[in-house]
Amino acid sequence: MKIENAAVLGVGMTRFKRWKDRSNLELAREAGLAALTDAGLALSDVDEAWVGYMAPQPMLGVRVMKEFGLTGLPVNNVENASATGLAAFREAAWAVSSGRCRIAMAIGFDKMSEMAAGGQGGRGVGRDSIDNVILPAAYFALWAMRRMHERGTKPEHFAAIAAKNWNHGALNPLAHRRPKDRITAEAVLASPMVAEPLTAMMACPISDGAACAIVAHPEIAKKQRADRPVVHVRSSVFRSETYAPGHTFLGAVVGPPSITRDTAQLAYEAAGLGPEDVDLALCHDAFANEELEYYELLGFCEEGGAERLVEERATELGGRIPFNPDGGLIARGHPGGPTGLAMIHELTVQLRGEAGARQVEDARVGLAHLVGGGSVCSVNLLQSEG
Amino acid sequence: MLKGRPQRIPIEQGFFTIPDDPAQAPRLLGSRCGACSEVFFPRRVVCAICLAASLEDIELGPHGTLHTFTYVHLPLFGALRAEAGHYGVGQVDLDEGPRVQAVLAGERDQLAIGMDLELQLETLRLTDSGEEVVIFRFGIPRTGRPS
Repeated sequence: MKIENAAVLGVGMTRFKRWKDRSNLELAREAGLAALTDAGLALSDVDEAWVGYMAPQPMLGVRVMKEFGLTGLPVNNVENASATGLAAFREAAWAVSSGRCRIAMAIGFDKMSEMAAGGQGGRGVGRDSIDNVILPAAYFALWAMRRMHERGTKPEHFAAIAAKNWNHGALNPLAHRRPKDRITAEAVLASPMVAEPLTAMMACPISDGAACAIVAHPEIAKKQRADRPVVHVRSSVFRSETYAPGHTFLGAVVGPPSITRDTAQLAYEAAGLGPEDVDLALCHDAFANEELEYYELLGFCEEGGAERLVEERATELGGRIPFNPDGGLIARGHPGGPTGLAMIHELTVQLRGEAGARQVEDARVGLAHLVGGGSVCSVNLLQSEG
Repeated sequence: MLKGRPQRIPIEQGFFTIPDDPAQAPRLLGSRCGACSEVFFPRRVVCAICLAASLEDIELGPHGTLHTFTYVHLPLFGALRAEAGHYGVGQVDLDEGPRVQAVLAGERDQLAIGMDLELQLETLRLTDSGEEVVIFRFGIPRTGRPS
């Protein structure tokens, strides 16, 4: 279904990094207040809140929202692994589009540094179980090895994508990884091997942070901030898997590749847009080889054409279709709950023309994609008016 | 149970068999849909395709084909694997159909996409009372594949 009458009015986020001395509450407060300020609103203007986090703590969403005030608004908790932030965004967009409310907030936060260490509900060292033999890095390495077998893809292709995202991160003040010197594909290949063929620099870091987006009726957006373009939500499609031969029920699952193709197709149809209309794309590059697969699955090249896209540097800033100009999961970071909302933050800033050194020229349409374990997929299309 | 051999217990019940004879390969516990015949691992009550609730329990394996694999260089799974520091994991297509993710036995150079593999049991650790905690894995076949 097409989303109508929903626009991103305000965005805010913390820098993603290891925030050793700041709690989820503190991080969320910074991101939420920044988004409210960006929108020119107070919490009393917000009709609904959708709170995304992976931290295994019941009621955390309501507690976090109290940081902004106690107005009685309905607060809903959302969890969908890596796709949590975009899942929360979808609910906020539909709440406004359906007419149920005028202004909705989607906010996400997490401290992956604490979850990865094997805290309550975490899966740290030595937590062996029958469902846990394949770690995320290994799971995506299985994709990479199969791709290399079928298409002759080289580790150099994955390394080039990783290096691109590291270098994009250098241009983003909110990125976790902001290298001072240019990162080369050779340096990525030379970093420690995690799971063949993926090296440490091809993987996202362990980040903490928070991000927030406020969705409103476009008339409110125009009235609040007449000085800048309205960023419309054109579609937000969220799917779980359909069964296909080769499905694995046990162990790490992030969907067969078809989940991204199917979800993207629905998102394009709903928005009345196609890949040829998209000026920049953000995708789930938790591991660099994923981004290569998504070039095809999101429709930016034909099947088997992704390697050439890398060789032509088409997905770098300044290229035909820049991917992850904010550094992506690899450099901007991937705390979990806020990741999707950091994507909405980046698309909004880009579509307003406020992205500074990493601005994509004449950016009008942006795409945000995440997959999440379990598995799920979200594809979103935003378009600036004019 | 053979005399003098520690008892073997599964890391989790309901996923694989543990033959009394250690020379025998284990089997995986799966389901076949009585309506559409699709085969699943692990066991399920409702068919994932036709949604019928008429599934029968079957045993799967021990033979399969390596669909893809990787060699992991982070010691994060299991006490013994942690000591080894690196190990193979892969997706194996069972002859009956289902694709299964598992640890692989063998060195990196012994593994190749498309090779035949066979189910085995691997001891992860000993309990305080001396039982071996085991999990299924795939390794180089010791027996011929049935034609």
